[in-house]
Amino acid sequence: MHGSGAEISREVFWNILGPGFPTEQVLLYVLVVIAFLLFFHGLARSGFFTRMKAVTSAQGPDVERVNNAWDRFMYMVVDVFGHRKILREPYQGVFHFFIFWGFIALAITTAIVFLQADVIWPIWHVWFMQGGFYLGLSLFADVFGLVAIVGILMAMARRYFMKPKWLDEKGEDKVILWFILAILVTGFVVEALRIQATETDPASPMNPYIWFSPVGRTVAFLFSGMSMDALRDTHVVLWWTHVLGALGFIVFIAYSKLLHIVMTPVNIFLRPDTPQPPIKAMPPEMFENAETFGIHKLEEYSWKDLFDSEACMRCGRCVEVCPAFNTDKPLLPRDVIQNIRTYMEKKAKFALDADGNYHILPDEEYTGPALIGDTIEKDTIWACTTCMACVEACPAYILQFPKLIDLRRYLVMMESDFPAEVLDVFKGMENNSNPWSIGAHVRADWAKGLDVPLLSEKGEAEYLFYVGCAGAFDDLNKKVAVALVKIFKAAGLDFAILGTEEGCCGDSAKKIGNEYVYQALAMANIETFKAYNVSKIITMCPHGYTVLKNDYKELGGNFQVFHYTEILDKLIKQGKITLKQPIENLGVITYHDSCYLGRYNKIYDQPRDILKALNSGSLVEMKSHHAKSFCCGAGGGRMWMEEDLGTRINQKRTKEVEASGAKTVCTACPFCYTMLSDGIKELELSEKLQAIDIAQLVAKAAGLDQKTDKAGNENDQEAAN
Amino acid sequence: MNTVVCIKQVPDTETLIKVQGAGIVTEGIKWVMNPYDEFAVEEALRQKEKMKAGNVTIVSLGPDRAIEAVRTGLAMGADTAVHINDAAYYDKADPYATAAALAAAIKGMQYDAIFVGKQAIDDDAAQVPAMLAEMLGIPVVTMVIKFEVAADKSKATVTREIEGGQAVVEVPLPAVFSAQKGLNEPRYASLPGIMKAKKKPVDVKKAADLGVSEGPKTAIKEMSLPPARQAGKVITGDDAAAKAKELARILHEEVKIV
Repeated sequence: MHGSGAEISREVFWNILGPGFPTEQVLLYVLVVIAFLLFFHGLARSGFFTRMKAVTSAQGPDVERVNNAWDRFMYMVVDVFGHRKILREPYQGVFHFFIFWGFIALAITTAIVFLQADVIWPIWHVWFMQGGFYLGLSLFADVFGLVAIVGILMAMARRYFMKPKWLDEKGEDKVILWFILAILVTGFVVEALRIQATETDPASPMNPYIWFSPVGRTVAFLFSGMSMDALRDTHVVLWWTHVLGALGFIVFIAYSKLLHIVMTPVNIFLRPDTPQPPIKAMPPEMFENAETFGIHKLEEYSWKDLFDSEACMRCGRCVEVCPAFNTDKPLLPRDVIQNIRTYMEKKAKFALDADGNYHILPDEEYTGPALIGDTIEKDTIWACTTCMACVEACPAYILQFPKLIDLRRYLVMMESDFPAEVLDVFKGMENNSNPWSIGAHVRADWAKGLDVPLLSEKGEAEYLFYVGCAGAFDDLNKKVAVALVKIFKAAGLDFAILGTEEGCCGDSAKKIGNEYVYQALAMANIETFKAYNVSKIITMCPHGYTVLKNDYKELGGNFQVFHYTEILDKLIKQGKITLKQPIENLGVITYHDSCYLGRYNKIYDQPRDILKALNSGSLVEMKSHHAKSFCCGAGGGRMWMEEDLGTRINQKRTKEVEASGAKTVCTACPFCYTMLSDGIKELELSEKLQAIDIAQLVAKAAGLDQKTDKAGNENDQEAAN
Repeated sequence: MNTVVCIKQVPDTETLIKVQGAGIVTEGIKWVMNPYDEFAVEEALRQKEKMKAGNVTIVSLGPDRAIEAVRTGLAMGADTAVHINDAAYYDKADPYATAAALAAAIKGMQYDAIFVGKQAIDDDAAQVPAMLAEMLGIPVVTMVIKFEVAADKSKATVTREIEGGQAVVEVPLPAVFSAQKGLNEPRYASLPGIMKAKKKPVDVKKAADLGVSEGPKTAIKEMSLPPARQAGKVITGDDAAAKAKELARILHEEVKIV
């Protein structure tokens, strides 16, 4: 017998074990072993090992995944137990937190009971599960069991009543919830039956402490009318039901999305520790030696690309935030990952020989479904704005959109297969180093009459102001460039521009998949920067900021790069710019986070601090902001593509501006500025809304407005002509 | 089907052109393949792909730099090239001299059709296709927007653009065809294409190697840019009627068109 002697405790296996040989206890061990065997059998049956063959056969390069193992481990522990990412979505975050911690607490309780009853007592005859410890444990298990039930009910409410449109619905989804609920409820009922039978009698030593099992005690009232025999009979049946349910759950993990319990923590451990979602490196020499570029078959992905799909449990957070999905385009990041997962199994039918060896078939021998087209459609590949919302949202640290860039690379560089309007963009970049295809010789015309120092004349300067194509060629954004140089000059910043020596940063080419053109552009810039010994660079465009700061490193360009909002914020805080003039007609203002500034580079505060320093207009936030900000629609080269499918992303964002109650939406990115300005015009909201770049507001507030500036006036007239 | 494509390297349409005497300042210019020649290359490649046989040969007259345009054609998919790299000859070459050099290079080749851009966008002469055909003693069809060839390669049925409409022309092969916009959508060279193009054979010749002796028939004496666009004029007035009156006055007295 277990637990004999201790008064404030309970008998483990009460009503289960008879006197003599503990047959039922041994049976339980056997069942546990069977459950684990069935778990592995389930992994095999559900294709896990087949998929792992594809994973281990993958050839693509990858970034470091196991360096700083201790840091990675601790990050994983904090993430898993603290729900760092999961809690970002309050509702589903909380219910997962409840279920998770309920699960953990009950697992701990079960482990303690196991140690006591099956290890410590049989070996040393010590019973520690008694007294205050036992009562505490009892309360702990009861409370967390209840918490888990609340979590499950919340999850059910979402699945049955709220039904968000991004939520996937497969057969297993509701089954899992009912399954867990059944295990939890039978657990409480078993407890209640035991309490009714053994603790309700005032003579029982446990009777004074009966409420340390608050849920079990409460449920026990339901059985107060039952006879001892009935209690015992029901208890036995339900005890085994509960046990078999819990063991069945272990088996079910192998067959269902529950496998994320194992795989997601592994994926968190393996997360890339690069500042931005890594896009596969293509060393320049590769262009000379490689025969194929980008990815068009499964095994060209890296092992981690394929492994990612194991960690995906279809939660749909990536879908919820995807600008393409939210404007009815055929892109659901989750489905990209899930399709890769099912494709691994489909492809295995062709790749595995009789001995189970995986063969990567050459294109001409392969007759099965293709990766591009059959698994991931071209419209899906081109719909992505690379806004990074999916990667940011994913609690499993899966890289969704970089997998699409690999496919774009194949389509562009191998097949010359891309939206027709992109041809002129590539040619413009190749011939005139800008996507607008405007003559490279007019790159510095925006600065005429403003007396902007040229690096070629000045020789050196503390900062290179890298204007970028938008500031140099786009009429709307030239105003921002003009505002910036006026501010820099007023603040006494030692800076210069490259003028016509500047080239396109190449971000659009890179994200469209034309790494070859991107590298040619990047190398030209790096060479120019190095020729002038440039060390610090200010960019106007977050896209240039991203590639100059992060991606140029791969090509040997190491520079200290700042976005202009970082510089302006500093200049204002240092008092080098005084914002004294109130800005008229500003109204309530809101700030639109650029994806490439916010999610990519974590610059959220500086633009807002600048806006607060204006002291004009109150600042409100839109429905989605900071890390959850909604894309303007122009990233990933989408700026240059027609938006034929679904509705327009920029209009959706413009409606969010309108809904925020703001009159002015402030941007810090030329693409966002263009897209939101267009959105306001397209929706005929010009009387209610205006878009403006932060730099222009700072120039106005600092009294450097074009209207009061002679040079600016001249510049304006030229633009008008 | 074996085809020959004649291409010319010209300044990019967006590049800054500065006139110097009878020529332009070539420094700082971004050079590209003449856009109409891209249609010619594309059509040659499509015919080859359709027939699943044949060779596409690029022929170009130009200085060292013209090799870039030649490589672009090879990157698109052409098989071989002849580069008549003769700066002295090229500098003085008018359409006649150009056609003579091209004809001399093409003369010994086996071909079913010659594709040429309808005109080069630098000098806009549009004479080479016809002269080339004459010198080779074969027919020419200009302004082609659709090209179809008989299975036995004996003749081609082509649609050409005429003023306000289209005409369908039948012509025996070989013949010269000048490509007009609309013939096709030129492809963007794939990366393997670009890499392979670096290794494809280019036969470099001087005009003298080809036995071309006849020089140009014309010579450029002077070049000038169009006058710079004048600043716009904002018409002011107290009301619409006054503005209209002022507009009428300007059109009548200053611009003299009414």
